[in-house]
Amino acid sequence: MRALCWNGVNDLRVERVPDPRILGPQDAIIKVGLSSVCGSDLHLIGGHVPTMRAGDIIGHEFLGEVVEKGPEVTRLNRGDRVITVSIIGCGKCWHCQQEEFSLCDNSNPQPAFEESAYGHCTAGIFGYSHAFGGYAGSHAEYIRVPFADTNCFRVPEGVTDEQAVFVSDAVPTGYMAADMGNIKPGDVVAVWGCGGVGQMAMKSAFLLGAERVIGIDRFPDRLRAAQMKAGAETLDYSRVDIYDALLAMTGGRGPDVCIDAVGMEADSGGPANRGLAIEDLYDRSKQALRLESDRPAVLRQMIQCCRKGGTLSIVGVYGGLIDKFPMGAAMNKALTLRMGQQHGQRYVKRLFAHIEKGDLDPSYLLTHKWALDDAPQGYRMFKDKADDCMRVVFTP
Amino acid sequence: MTRGRDGGRRIDGSAGTLERWAAILGGTALGFAGARRGSWALAALGGGLFLAGAAGVPLSSPLRQAALPALRREPTTTQANVTIAVPADKLFRHWRNVRHLAALFPHLDAVEILSDMESRWKAHGPGGVPVVWNSRLDKVRENELITWHTLEGADLPHRGTVLFRPAPGGRGTEVSLTLAYHPPGGAGGDAVSRLFGAAPEQQAREALRRLKRIMEVGALPTIDGQPSGRAERGGAEARLREVTG
Repeated sequence: MRALCWNGVNDLRVERVPDPRILGPQDAIIKVGLSSVCGSDLHLIGGHVPTMRAGDIIGHEFLGEVVEKGPEVTRLNRGDRVITVSIIGCGKCWHCQQEEFSLCDNSNPQPAFEESAYGHCTAGIFGYSHAFGGYAGSHAEYIRVPFADTNCFRVPEGVTDEQAVFVSDAVPTGYMAADMGNIKPGDVVAVWGCGGVGQMAMKSAFLLGAERVIGIDRFPDRLRAAQMKAGAETLDYSRVDIYDALLAMTGGRGPDVCIDAVGMEADSGGPANRGLAIEDLYDRSKQALRLESDRPAVLRQMIQCCRKGGTLSIVGVYGGLIDKFPMGAAMNKALTLRMGQQHGQRYVKRLFAHIEKGDLDPSYLLTHKWALDDAPQGYRMFKDKADDCMRVVFTP
Repeated sequence: MTRGRDGGRRIDGSAGTLERWAAILGGTALGFAGARRGSWALAALGGGLFLAGAAGVPLSSPLRQAALPALRREPTTTQANVTIAVPADKLFRHWRNVRHLAALFPHLDAVEILSDMESRWKAHGPGGVPVVWNSRLDKVRENELITWHTLEGADLPHRGTVLFRPAPGGRGTEVSLTLAYHPPGGAGGDAVSRLFGAAPEQQAREALRRLKRIMEVGALPTIDGQPSGRAERGGAEARLREVTG
């Protein structure tokens, strides 16, 4: 089959590789119909997440058809149209039973790296480096899904492919971000990052009862989508001072819930945020010298802006160590910090119900549909955010 | 040879300041060099060094011990712990059938049951060196504890204990595995000692992880045999790329 392989930093190629096979009794093989790019892929492609190996197939947000299944797969049938949650749960360990699927004890076959770097190992993720299990990804004609009964979900008839594909990752990640915010009626929610996950976090915040939602970004098309599609008010961080603007919008309180949908490659500053220009220089220099792995500009800003006693909900991906974390502000302001990779399996049914009812339509994230053969250019476009690109989806 | 955790026999407490900073800085540099090249081994080594430095784990003293043969005669003890979402009686029954243990240690080739309390074990060391020992159960407390020791003439003399106790909050069972052994001397001793000695703590931990996965999900997760761009590129070139990034 053809697959998009990572060969080195910023070196992606579509190559011929063997077809996947059933390797365990709970595996299924899915014929990929749609496979989307994701912002967290950019961290892999750019070399910010270690443990990639040349030849790895990337991609973790996908929809397809079950074409083969192992003997222990009982809930799926050949021909089923399914999405697969990007983060793999075994379904049996204590964490999976608590619906904390991204903390699965058993799905990562290569736990050594995470155990040495993080103390414990977490779940395997499709196409997401060997620290997260080294599973082959979905930018391919076929993909093998382990523990298929836990991780594959049949798409209801009334839901289109273009709506369903994002229920793999962007929609549940955004929904979980809002869910972790423990939003109460009257709450103001600020979301840093208006990409796919940020958009879904904004929509979800409203579904969970937020009164106002504020989206922060600097790309005009994303800010427009946040306004028009997600119903948010927006702030352009390259033009206004975010702290001043948020306090002005909230009577000096600050947002009740701050959501980080940006992660480790945060861009900060711009002429309106002069203080941050120094911070940005600091982080970029340390990152270049390999003394800090992640740029935490959004985290610092959220701690500064969040109302006293408010909640920070972090779904933007971080990989390693950050410097100058304002712990004093976080502690003295009694902030709650919640975070994690998505536990998608917990949310899929609820999300399909919202889509069927018409409260949520994630299909607008799909701005470009390209052939898999053009995937390297697709990623370039996504990375440069050219042509108002929100997400490119590949069809094998 | 790297030693595992030596119960109470640490010679000089914790690492000195200079050693810690060397580990932290060296580990950071290595970790990020690994990250940049996509080499997880390098990155993990760097991460490990960093953490060892940060935690003040003495790195140079195990090296000193390795250089001092007199110290190597004392038994080495290693322990690993895991919580398994399965009741203790089920785990006890599984372990009590020692044939099941071959699946937990990859270098074990066969376990032969000689009697209710005795068994014969065959393993292979590095380079395929055969390693054989007979083992006898000492204590067997239903659903709680199994201890054993190897009999006279064993290639790999050791004592072992596995302990099962209920975990709080319905989390299943906490399992502890403790192994104490003497690195053997004599001809071929080094090869044999490497069987357990290379990273005994890691081997014990991995054995318990395999037990957990077998008992919880019925199989070990794997990526062996899945497609990648490496298979087609094949051979030396691909391997070279992996090494050099």
